[in-house]
Amino acid sequence: MTTTQRKKIIGLTVNEETYELAVECQETLLDVLRNNLGLTGTKEGCGTGECGSCTVLLEGEPILACLMLAVECENKKIETIEGQSINGDLTPVQEAFLEKGAVQCGFCTPGMVLASTDLLKRNPDPSKEDIMESLGGHLCRCTGYNKIMEFVHHAAKLNRDNT
Amino acid sequence: MSELDYVGKRILRKDGPDKVTGKAIYTVDIQLKGQLVGRILRSPHAHARILDIDISLALEVPGVKAVITGKDTLGIKHGFVETPRYPADQYPLAMDKVRFIGEEVAAVAATDVYAADKALSLIKVTYESLPAVFDPEEAMIPGAPEIHPSHPKVKEDLVNIGGKTASGWGDVEAGFQEADYVREDRFESHLRTHGFLEPHATVASFEADGKLNVWTSSQGPFIKRAKLAKTLGLPQSSVRVKKAYVGGAFGGKIDLYTHEFCAALLSMKTSRPVEIIATREEIFTAYRHGQPMIVTVKTGVKKDGTIVAQEFKTINNSGGYRGSGVVVIFLVWGFAMAPYRIPNMKYKGYSVYTNNPIRSPQRGHGAPQMRFAVESQLDMIAAELGISPIDIRLKNARVSGEMLPNGDNVHNCGLKDCVLDIAKHTDFTAKFGISRTEKQGRYRKGIGIGVSAYFGGSLIYPNSSSVIVKMNDDGSVSLLTGSLDIGQGSETILCQIVAEELKIPIEEVQVFAADTETTPVDIGVWISGNAYVTGNAAREAAGDVRRKLMTIAAEELNADIENLIFQNKRVYISGQPERSLSYEELVALSIQKHRGDSVIGNGHWRTMRDEPFHPSLATTKGRWTENYAFDAQTAEVEVDTETGNVRLLKAVTAHDCGFPINPLQVEGQIDGQVSMALGHAFMEEIMMEKGRTLNPSWLDYRMPSICNIADSEHIDVITERYQVGKPYRTKEVGEGYVSAILAAIANAIYNAVGVRLFSTPFTPEKILKGLEKIK
Ligand code: FES
Ligand code: FES
Repeated sequence: MTTTQRKKIIGLTVNEETYELAVECQETLLDVLRNNLGLTGTKEGCGTGECGSCTVLLEGEPILACLMLAVECENKKIETIEGQSINGDLTPVQEAFLEKGAVQCGFCTPGMVLASTDLLKRNPDPSKEDIMESLGGHLCRCTGYNKIMEFVHHAAKLNRDNT
Repeated sequence: MSELDYVGKRILRKDGPDKVTGKAIYTVDIQLKGQLVGRILRSPHAHARILDIDISLALEVPGVKAVITGKDTLGIKHGFVETPRYPADQYPLAMDKVRFIGEEVAAVAATDVYAADKALSLIKVTYESLPAVFDPEEAMIPGAPEIHPSHPKVKEDLVNIGGKTASGWGDVEAGFQEADYVREDRFESHLRTHGFLEPHATVASFEADGKLNVWTSSQGPFIKRAKLAKTLGLPQSSVRVKKAYVGGAFGGKIDLYTHEFCAALLSMKTSRPVEIIATREEIFTAYRHGQPMIVTVKTGVKKDGTIVAQEFKTINNSGGYRGSGVVVIFLVWGFAMAPYRIPNMKYKGYSVYTNNPIRSPQRGHGAPQMRFAVESQLDMIAAELGISPIDIRLKNARVSGEMLPNGDNVHNCGLKDCVLDIAKHTDFTAKFGISRTEKQGRYRKGIGIGVSAYFGGSLIYPNSSSVIVKMNDDGSVSLLTGSLDIGQGSETILCQIVAEELKIPIEEVQVFAADTETTPVDIGVWISGNAYVTGNAAREAAGDVRRKLMTIAAEELNADIENLIFQNKRVYISGQPERSLSYEELVALSIQKHRGDSVIGNGHWRTMRDEPFHPSLATTKGRWTENYAFDAQTAEVEVDTETGNVRLLKAVTAHDCGFPINPLQVEGQIDGQVSMALGHAFMEEIMMEKGRTLNPSWLDYRMPSICNIADSEHIDVITERYQVGKPYRTKEVGEGYVSAILAAIANAIYNAVGVRLFSTPFTPEKILKGLEKIK
């Protein structure tokens, strides 16, 4: 590990690719994903942990990338929205999102997709309350959440049908 | 005949795959080579004279490439409205004075945000603080600190009047004389914000050839181009505003914003791309929110509930500059007169300067404020007269073919059906009739109704749209539109219309949108005009293509035009499906035999083609539109009498939107509006003290989350239809449904516990206080 005055070299695995990056100590994971790696699918709605739009999976767990320093993620595995659809095929969660009309402006969508993917992995048949618990930190101003609620139920069904 | 394959169907969004995979590029995602970061210095004073700005230390910070102040600008003012009566009143960067906390004083471009922030902290501004005023009613009284001189045409002895609208008809005094019952009430609507998830953002890149390229999170590129060019002193042809995805707007991204101007000027100064993204705190404290408004309504009715006279006075708190304040006092007159028949009416609205941040349109632009007042009062009147809320609304509701006082025709009006259907659907009368003595215990339920009307595509600006549809060699089509999809799904519905007119699979319609250089001029996505105005332009453009294809097919197949049928990218002769030509063949034939004509269609539309310009903001005279949507909404609530908390149990929206072009999107619009109204009713309020925002974050300004989801149901009242080759009159769905529901909630609270609320939001404190009073 090399340290300069401000920068530190860290290893980071993002969507199964490993990078070696020089990051500033105060840089967030969100900044590094967006600015250094050009992975702009992860959004910044507030930068202060209030909206959920920057959600990514860190070692499989949803976290707010705007509140996580990049240096804390050294040698960790991260999944972003760009890593979800392999070879252009949408995941059942993404399919369900489209089919139920849960996307409008789409700014909250990447975070919602990752959080619900995580929820469905842990809980293949979530109740309304389970969904509220998992998505409660994700603001969406466009949809009123009705179609988001519907899509999670629908994605759960698609997932079950697929297995 | 005329089976529809695309219009009226639940077609999935064209941009959906881009959005669920994270590929959609929004303005905040644009990263150009050598891009600098811009930041803005804002006034800490609500009202002050600028004596001096010293930028010398800021310029020395390593990484800083440019610092600009008002002195670096041409000093050209701009405004949401720029008319002879209401000339522009705001400099893009403050020159001599600041008029609200957060007003932009200087801007910096640097290689990174740390350098930019450091430079901001080193700019020394010397202010001379001036007395300030924040309450509009105080600001109007002579002797209040003068923010701007009062409007010269307003002759009353008042100050700080940014604008006034006065209108009326009939004889309101005689009307009140004739009335059996008259009452007057005052209602206040609070300050709330749009809450779009994508912050305000702009990237500007000034090229070596003198072209300024701009990406900005907006509601239409053409108005931005016009205002940027004007304030920067550039010809419009030197400014190109390009498309990026928009993460929500709700009325808050229409007008020119200072960050857009600064990004452009900083890029011109540095010859490097400059990006400015507002922080959420800046958006809460210094950017434009909706319009808080005081509405006084005096209504006279006959014993049977027939309205005979209504008099309104509104006062809008416009902040330090006019913003859309003089538009909202004009529009609310329309929201008052559209749903009910009012034989005698008088209206007076004032827009008042105060030392608060500027205000902008916000979804509904005055409709929630006006409908909350009228519908609440109507319920009080009905109760006084012993008439049901349903009957009093049916008695006064407008019907098809009625002429409005401005000369507009409501055409097909489904308002009565909306009220009847919703009453039946919710079992309103039975639920409403449960007396309060029967409602005991801590939790008490109630039901309430409200109605509203909304106009689409109005001539507030000389609004119009043009669209180009061109055939490609393989028989697919490209659609060129200046309209911008801000999440409402405009691109998808335009594709549906083109697919329908040309009977071509929707996947084979590609959209190219919102680029001032390559797409035709468009109304922009506000005042709810897209589906009607741009949609009809798209229909005409596709129709033009259809006619060309038809001519060639008739020549080649030796058939009469009337006998030709379009289906699945082919043209057939009716009854002889074996005699057909594919679009691909037709394009080739056209090129070969019509001197290279590759089949390009043009279309354009404007509401009411013969009206000269736009109606008068001062007198409301002049036609608006031929497009009025109507709705009735009910709310069922449960009040916790111990805490004062209210829950919205169910919201139903019965709406006459003409016909839905895409039901999936219409439902999405309704749900979104019900949720936004729920936030406005119970959760959201920008708290201000002496011009300073006290709750500048989503932690302290609570918007609904999925935990506050409203059970939202919809009833379609279909009054229009779509026919291939004919103009259609679908109506707006994007703004009207945030209005009546607010009144419905207030009326439901009264029905539950007998507490009448005269101001929004409906907080536990107000409800407990009300309960205390009636004990
Ligand atoms: S950007 Fe991280 S929570 Fe809003
Ligand atoms: S779709 Fe716009 S914020 Fe969720």
